[in-house]
Amino acid sequence: MKVIKKELIVAGAGPAGLSAAIEAAKSGVKATVFDENAAPGGQLFKQIHKFFGSKEHKAKIRGFRIGQQLLEEAKKAGVEVVLNAAVIGLYPEKEVLVQQGDEVVHYKGDAVLVATGAAENMVNFRGWTLPGVIGAGAAQTMMNLHHIKPGNRVFMLGTGNVGLVVAFQLMQAGCEVVALADAAPRVGGYGVHAAKVARTGVPFYLSHTIKEVEGRDCVTGVTIAQVDPQFHFIPGTEKHFDVDTVCVAVGLSPMAQLLKMDGVEMDTSSGGFVPKCDESGATSIPGIYAAGDVAGIEEASSAMIEGRMSGAAIAEYLGYLDHEARAARERELDASLESLRQGMFAPKNRGKKIEKTEEGIAVSENLLTHGYVADDEISRFPGFRKQVGIHPVIECTQNIPCNPCQDACRKGCISIGDQITSLPISVEGSECINCGMCVASCSGQAIFLVEEDTEPGYGEVTIPYEFLPLPQKDDRGFGLSRSGVPICEAEITNVRSSAAFDGTRLVTMKVPMEFIDRARFYKKA
Amino acid sequence: MDRIKNHPVLGESPVGKLVSFTYDGKTLQGYEGEPIAAALRVNGVMIHRYTAKRHEPRGVFCAIGRCTDCVMVVDGQPNVRTCITPLREGMKVQTQDGVKPLDAE
Amino acid sequence: MLDIEEKLKEIGPYVPEEDDDLLVCRCEEVTKGEIRKALHEGITTIEELRRLLRCGMGLCQGQTCGTLTRRLVAKELRIRPADVTLATARTPMRPLDMGIAGNDRGAGEDLAKGGLR
Repeated sequence: MKVIKKELIVAGAGPAGLSAAIEAAKSGVKATVFDENAAPGGQLFKQIHKFFGSKEHKAKIRGFRIGQQLLEEAKKAGVEVVLNAAVIGLYPEKEVLVQQGDEVVHYKGDAVLVATGAAENMVNFRGWTLPGVIGAGAAQTMMNLHHIKPGNRVFMLGTGNVGLVVAFQLMQAGCEVVALADAAPRVGGYGVHAAKVARTGVPFYLSHTIKEVEGRDCVTGVTIAQVDPQFHFIPGTEKHFDVDTVCVAVGLSPMAQLLKMDGVEMDTSSGGFVPKCDESGATSIPGIYAAGDVAGIEEASSAMIEGRMSGAAIAEYLGYLDHEARAARERELDASLESLRQGMFAPKNRGKKIEKTEEGIAVSENLLTHGYVADDEISRFPGFRKQVGIHPVIECTQNIPCNPCQDACRKGCISIGDQITSLPISVEGSECINCGMCVASCSGQAIFLVEEDTEPGYGEVTIPYEFLPLPQKDDRGFGLSRSGVPICEAEITNVRSSAAFDGTRLVTMKVPMEFIDRARFYKKA
Repeated sequence: MDRIKNHPVLGESPVGKLVSFTYDGKTLQGYEGEPIAAALRVNGVMIHRYTAKRHEPRGVFCAIGRCTDCVMVVDGQPNVRTCITPLREGMKVQTQDGVKPLDAE
Repeated sequence: MLDIEEKLKEIGPYVPEEDDDLLVCRCEEVTKGEIRKALHEGITTIEELRRLLRCGMGLCQGQTCGTLTRRLVAKELRIRPADVTLATARTPMRPLDMGIAGNDRGAGEDLAKGGLR
């Protein structure tokens, strides 16, 4: 046989591709997913942090567990996943060329979905080709898939969510992160991601970029310098760090070459290079669809919903789903997707400087320029509250689509309301029972339990903790400020772990009362 | 670089079956099935090849088989992407110089 | 399409820059200076650059330098990155051994058996 016929061919077994195949298969479509890698899941299995969103978006579940769930669901739905199979060609007649082993196989699909994801962007500074300069994705692959440290001392370029998340994961893997820098004047990713890095003592250099990476055979150091608004280096502002690894996280670009080869109309209006497609990912060629990052860079949570929408549309296109059923499903998915596209980081707000939250509160300028909310800024946010007796303090100060904390508290101590992006409120007069579920449920690790005057002159702060070695009860050390500076003595009074916390430990430290609103991390003496 | 023995989220790292391979004639060990590049990094090898024009060192860059910077001569075959090629017992891995092994003349 | 003569007048002659020796294409080792020079000699598209300098033609097929090159061309020609004329996307999208490309289960099957008659 020269051409193998398939109903639906999906290129890419990442979150979007798998979700589309599952959704289509549930309506009866026979779906085949090709992936060039030896394992499915795309980048999901490298994501060890808890995801944002609400319950329907699998919020507070770690990425790799979502990957496992998707694979199980795909298996149950009868989706065929073919690995070590690189799609090397796509033609308008929906002919798909796949390299499998040592041969090239021709397939023809009744429908084709391209879900090839994104590639990392790069910048070419002096020394960027030296061994030891790696992409942020490479760091994640080494540490979270292959269990090896990418380096011992690492410098991170980029403060978008990828840079922030990978910097934190590097520390979880036991690497030392010496600093983060970004040519932009403000932190690009979620403030809560930045704050959890900053409170460990890692400095942020905004309006700075790499001048040179040093080393003969491999990286031995990096020099950064401040840049002016036109991104020119300002002489005399150089800073040097001894490092063995430089990690680059400067954004992603859709990998749309297959779609381009195929001849679908492309949209370059936003400066990117993505296919023109409707809500369901239908391109200008009937029967050819695109979903996930290849259709525009967003989070994995969005990619999964986009995939489902494409899957439903494909099921209708192939005659497995009537128009009404598809429309109903699309409305449901669209609402879910729209809720993720709200808030300060929504696609529509990209590049805009936001001065005030939806509640009209001035945003923390320090968070944007140094990676943490300043001590004199925190009290203006509704998550901060002073009360006798234990209560949650929620240091979540930007409107992001996320609400697991509200669901986590059965006592009504935390309120977000119907608008998923609203800042969480620490509810006045509510009665906290110290269950710790809110602390563990917060994907941004921004919730602390504070109890004042547990004994004369002292109070207790419970912090989320995801590093090794784990502090032990009666350990003595220092309470660290939001910027990671030791500010007071601290004694560990409790360390809790539970299956319900999913890997996050709750560490309670006793600190002098005057530091109770400032001590947010612990370091052993 | 070291292996991560214990991870706060992922727990204890799986211990693979140790196999021997040669790197530029030296015998090294790594876990069977892990990428050749991972085994090399654990053994402190950062340079995978030298470029053809400038004779500059290159190593792992993307780690997912895209950038092709980590290619080496494996069992006599040049341009093998070591970041996605599983390690097997007895493999002969050589630093690549242009498209030849470094030690070949 | 750009009017090449007009564009050359607009952007003026090639003036060396301090970091012209920086690599843009890692695989084929093509520098920023080589690309800039070509643009000032009347090259305006990525496809031409690939033919002339081989940037983006190495093992990785421009996976790493594609965006960098596009940005550099846009800056030098004073146009938006989105308006840079890209190269044709062709099979194979991934580096492929010629032996595998030849081992094609389509027409190749018959060719392999008897060859062209």
